[in-house]
Amino acid sequence: MILYPAMLQNYLVVGAILFVLGMIGFLARRNLIIMFLSAEMMLQGVAVNLVAFAYYHGNMQGQAFTLFILTVAACEAGIALALILILFRSKRSLDVSLWQELREPGQEPTRDEEPLVPPPPALPLPRLTPAGIEPRPKEREESHV
Amino acid sequence: MSEIGTILWIIPILPLAAAVLIVFLGPRLLRGFSHVPCVLALAVSCVLSVYVLIHVARQPDELIHPTYYTWFAAGNIHIPVAFRADPLTAFMLAMVTFVGTFIAIFAAGYMHGDDGYPRFFAEVSLFVFSMTGLVLADNYMVLFAFWEGVGLCSYLLIGFWYEKPSAAHAARKAFLVTRIGDLGFILGIILLWITFGHNLDYEYVFTNAANVNRGALIAICFLLFSGAIGKSAQFPLHVWLPDAMEGPTPVSALIHAATMVTAGVYLVARSMPLYVLAPQVLLFVACIGTFTALLAAFIALTQTDLKRVLAYSTVSQLGYMFLGLGAAVYAQHSRLAVEAGMFHLFTHAFFKALLFLSAGSVMHAMGNVIDMRRFSGLRRVLPYTHIAFLCGAVALAAVPLTSGFWSKDAILTAAYNAAKEGHHYGAVFVLLFICAVITAGLTAFYTFRAYFMTFWGEERIPHEAGHHAHESPLIMVVPLMVLSVGALFAGYIDAEPFGLTWLGTFLEHVKHLPAMPTESVTATLLDRVWLLVVPLAMSLGGIAVAWLMYVRQPAWPGVVAARARALYELSWNKVHFDEIYNAFFVLPLWLFAQFCRIFDLGVVDSIVDVLGHVPRLIGGLFRPIQNGLVQFYALAMVLGLTVFLIALVNALAK
Repeated sequence: MILYPAMLQNYLVVGAILFVLGMIGFLARRNLIIMFLSAEMMLQGVAVNLVAFAYYHGNMQGQAFTLFILTVAACEAGIALALILILFRSKRSLDVSLWQELREPGQEPTRDEEPLVPPPPALPLPRLTPAGIEPRPKEREESHV
Repeated sequence: MSEIGTILWIIPILPLAAAVLIVFLGPRLLRGFSHVPCVLALAVSCVLSVYVLIHVARQPDELIHPTYYTWFAAGNIHIPVAFRADPLTAFMLAMVTFVGTFIAIFAAGYMHGDDGYPRFFAEVSLFVFSMTGLVLADNYMVLFAFWEGVGLCSYLLIGFWYEKPSAAHAARKAFLVTRIGDLGFILGIILLWITFGHNLDYEYVFTNAANVNRGALIAICFLLFSGAIGKSAQFPLHVWLPDAMEGPTPVSALIHAATMVTAGVYLVARSMPLYVLAPQVLLFVACIGTFTALLAAFIALTQTDLKRVLAYSTVSQLGYMFLGLGAAVYAQHSRLAVEAGMFHLFTHAFFKALLFLSAGSVMHAMGNVIDMRRFSGLRRVLPYTHIAFLCGAVALAAVPLTSGFWSKDAILTAAYNAAKEGHHYGAVFVLLFICAVITAGLTAFYTFRAYFMTFWGEERIPHEAGHHAHESPLIMVVPLMVLSVGALFAGYIDAEPFGLTWLGTFLEHVKHLPAMPTESVTATLLDRVWLLVVPLAMSLGGIAVAWLMYVRQPAWPGVVAARARALYELSWNKVHFDEIYNAFFVLPLWLFAQFCRIFDLGVVDSIVDVLGHVPRLIGGLFRPIQNGLVQFYALAMVLGLTVFLIALVNALAK
C-alpha cells in the first residue's frame, strides 16, 4: 500500500496534536505523574510521525526506530516512576513546585499567588454491612507454660 | 675523580646532612641529643679540612679545582658547581671548621634546656655548610649562592628567640643592611660576567684580568667591595653587627665574630689579583677599613653591654683586616697584604670566638645579665672563664707574644711599608698608619676595661643569678681551654722574629699575584724597632690606663666622662648612627611605604572593586530567571525551540 501526500498529512496532524497536547500537559500540570504521562504522550506523537513517514517512503527504518523508542520509553518509565516515588517519599506530595532548590542563591522561592484548592476530603471507603452472627471474641488463652 | 676532589665535596655535605637529619629527627627523636650529629659532622669536616690543608701544603702548586655538576647552562653560558683547593681556601677552611667544632661543643652546654635546641643545631650545621661552600667555591656565582646562604643562616640565628621583638627586629635589620651591600655585590658579578665574556671561574678571571678595560675593572672591584662592606660590617653598613648580639652567644661567636663576617675579608683577599690592578679601590678599602676601625673602637670605649663591646671590637678588627688588604696598593706588596689580612683573620677567629664564649659563660652564670655595671669581681666565682677571658683579652689587646700581637704587627708592617714607599698614596698611608696605631691603643683600653669591670673589683652578682652563681659545666669549659691555647699560640704560624714564617711561605703559592721584590721591605733595623715598639707601647699603655681607671682609681671614669661630656655622649650613643639612618633612610622609606599602602588600598583597590562589581550588576539582571522551577525551564526550552524552528522554516522557505 502506498500513502499519498494527502493521506500522510492526516497522520502528521494526529502526531502533531498528540505532541502539542503532551507539551501543554507537561507545562500546565503540576502533578509529577501527570507530567510524566504527558511526556510519554509527546513521545507517542513522534512515534506516529515516524511510522507515517516509514509508510510514505516504503521502508522499515521509521518502524524500527519506533520499536526502539517504545523499548527505551519502557525503561525510562521504570526509572522515572522510581524517581517520582522517592520524591514523593521525601515531601509526601507530588507537587512539582515544591522542588525549587536549584534556583540561584539569594533568590526568593516562587509561591502561588492564590493557594491551591485543598484536596477534597477522602471519601469514606465503602463498608460491607456485617451479616450473620458475629463470632464471639476469643477468650484469652491461658498460659501453658 | 681524584681522592682530594671527593674529600672537597664531603666537607660541606657532612654539615648539610647533619642539618637535614636534625630537622627531621630532632624534635621527636633526638631532642636533647640534637647536638650529636652537628658536632660529629663538624669534627669530621674539620679532620678532612686539616687533611686538605696538609695536602695543599705538600703540593702547593698543584691546581685542584674539580667540577661536580652543571648548575645551569644556556648557550655559551655555563655555570658549574666547582670547588677549589688552594692555600687560601685550605687555610680558611681549616680555621672555620676547627673553630666551628668547638663552638658547637660549647653550644651544647650553653643552649641546654632551650625549647629550640634541635632548631639551633640544625641552623648551625646549615651555616657551616654554607660557609664551607663559600670558602670552597671556584667561581663567583657559586660563591654568591653560598654567600646568600650564610646571610640566611645569620638571619635565622639572630632571630633565634623570635618571640623577643628586639631579636626579630635585629634579625630583620641585619638581613636588610647586608642586602644593601649584596646589591652592589651582584651588580659587580654581573659586570664581571659581561667584562670577562660570560665566564666567572676564578682561574679564567684572574688569568685575563690584565687584558680587560681598566675602568670596568675598577667598577667591578668597587662593587665587590660593597658586598664585603655589608657582610663584614664596615662603615657605613656597620650598624647591623652590634644589634646582631641579640642572638644566642655561640652564634655571636661563630657567625658574627669568627667566620661569616670575615667572608668580606676573604672575598677581597680572594679577588686580590683583580684589586692589584685597581689601586684606587685598594686605597678606598684601606681608608674605609681604618675609619671603621677607629670609629668602632671609639664607640666601644663607653659601652656597658659586654657583648656589645666585643661586637664593636669585631667591627674594629675587621676594619684592621681591610687596612692590611688595602696595603696592597703597591702591587709588589700584595702577597704581604694578603698574608697580613688573612693572618689577622685567623688569629682574630680564635681570640674573638674565645672572648664571646667567655662572655657567654659569664652570661650563663649571671642569669642572662650582660650589663657590666651589674656585676663585678667575678674572678673567684668563675675561675676558668676568667682565665679564658684573660687569654682572649691579651690577644685582642696585642700583648707581646700572643697571637694578636703577631697578626696586628703584620698589618701595621704592611701599612707602614705602604706609607714608606714614597708613592703618591704614601701620605695617605702615613695617616692610616697613625690611625691604626691609635686604634691599637683604644683596643687595648676597652678590652681591659671590660675585663677589669667584669672580673675585678668587689664581688657583685645580680639577683637574677640566684644564690648559686657557679662555673659553667665541663662541656663549656673545655672549648674555652682549647680556644685559649689557640688565642695565645695560633700566632706562631707566622712569628717572624722567631724565624717562623710558615704562613708566609704557604701563601706564597697563591696564584696570579705579582712576585715579591727580592730584598726584604722592612730592611732597616730602625723600622723594625719602630714597628715593634710603637704598637707595644700602645697596647701596654692602653692596658695600664684601663687598670688605673677601673681598678686603682674607680672614681676616674666618672670624672673623665664629666670633663669630656660631648665626646662621652657621642661614644655612648654610638655616634648617633642609628638615629641618623632612621631619620634619613628609614623614616622617608617608611613614609613612602605608608603612602604606597594608602594609594594601594584607596585607589588601586577601589578601581578593582568597581570593575569587579560590573559583572555582578549585569548578573543581577538575569538572576531571577534561575528560579528553580522545572516547568519554567521546560517553557523556556519550548519557546527557544519554537523561535529556532520559525527561523529555520523562514530560512528554508526563501
